[in-house]
Amino acid sequence: MRLTVDGREIEIDPDPEMPLLWALRDLAGITGPKFGCGIAACGACTVLVDGVPVRSCSLPVGGVEGDIVTIEGLADGDTLSAVQQAWLDEQVAQCGYCQAGQIMSATALLDEVSDPTDEDIDNAMGGNLCRCGTYPRIRAAIKRAAAMKLARA
Amino acid sequence: MRPLATLLTAFAIAASSSALAQETPAPDQPPVPAVDRAAGLSEWEKINAVFSHPRCANCHVEDDHPRWSGTHYGETRNHAFNVQRGTDESGFGNPGLRCTTCHFESNSNVLHGPPGAESWHLAPAEMVWFGKSSAEICAQIKDPERNGGRTLEEIAVHVRDDGLVGWGWAPGPGREPAPGSAVETFAALERWNAAGAPCPDG
Repeated sequence: MRLTVDGREIEIDPDPEMPLLWALRDLAGITGPKFGCGIAACGACTVLVDGVPVRSCSLPVGGVEGDIVTIEGLADGDTLSAVQQAWLDEQVAQCGYCQAGQIMSATALLDEVSDPTDEDIDNAMGGNLCRCGTYPRIRAAIKRAAAMKLARA
Repeated sequence: MRPLATLLTAFAIAASSSALAQETPAPDQPPVPAVDRAAGLSEWEKINAVFSHPRCANCHVEDDHPRWSGTHYGETRNHAFNVQRGTDESGFGNPGLRCTTCHFESNSNVLHGPPGAESWHLAPAEMVWFGKSSAEICAQIKDPERNGGRTLEEIAVHVRDDGLVGWGWAPGPGREPAPGSAVETFAALERWNAAGAPCPDG
């Protein structure tokens, strides 16, 4: 089957029931999305499909339609996305394992809500767990990214 | 006149308890369908057993929080992850965390994995079943202002044919299905409607 991932076409031959995460990591070598829980309960595997965040550990690859964007496809060349840059500026990551998923959900939020409130952020990010407890910095980074995006617009 | 009126009243009561009876029309009025309250309520109990079951009621909530329940949860609780109806009241979740972020077209085969069906979302708040009595659910179902503007026949067909409704009878591993089946519930709705769609006393 053909998938469009991070702006390029890939050809893979998976069992249709294989989770998208497996297809990305094991068949396509795109290891940015992480395996956490395997039951859509932690958010580490989050990618965007046509702009909608999905937990790729639970989505059968055979049912995927649309453009997939992973953490590896957010930057424009050497220019990080506003969310990625804000994550660096706020030094959000501690161990970092969940951060790829956090950034994807934050990206989806800011695509729909340009200047999110604390409540908007809580509503969007509740499915992305961080065992290191970086939540205050995640919130700060999302607000910083929103300001950067508005400034760039 | 009083003895005749008493006799007619007694006749009407007797007739209302028979499945085949019809109310005696006034001489200048056409016949009206019978209201067989006992038979209708018997059918309603089957319907209510489905509608009030957690597989159905957990997403027919009045507030913004779908519910989780099951033997491993203890008491019924709000859906984890701060999942909500959505600030746009759509029932499809919030920006950054839609229902379809985790709930896809089919059930996960992994125990405790996310269940799935087409168009996963919360029912509108006015269609509340969670925490409501049988009489309250019955009144809601019959009220076009609160049932999506459907006739009872349309509700029966909706229950029989809708993919998300049908999920309630095939909820995936580790979840108790709603009682009966979509076809059986459709048939119960048809019989309840034919019996005058009586509601239990509140």
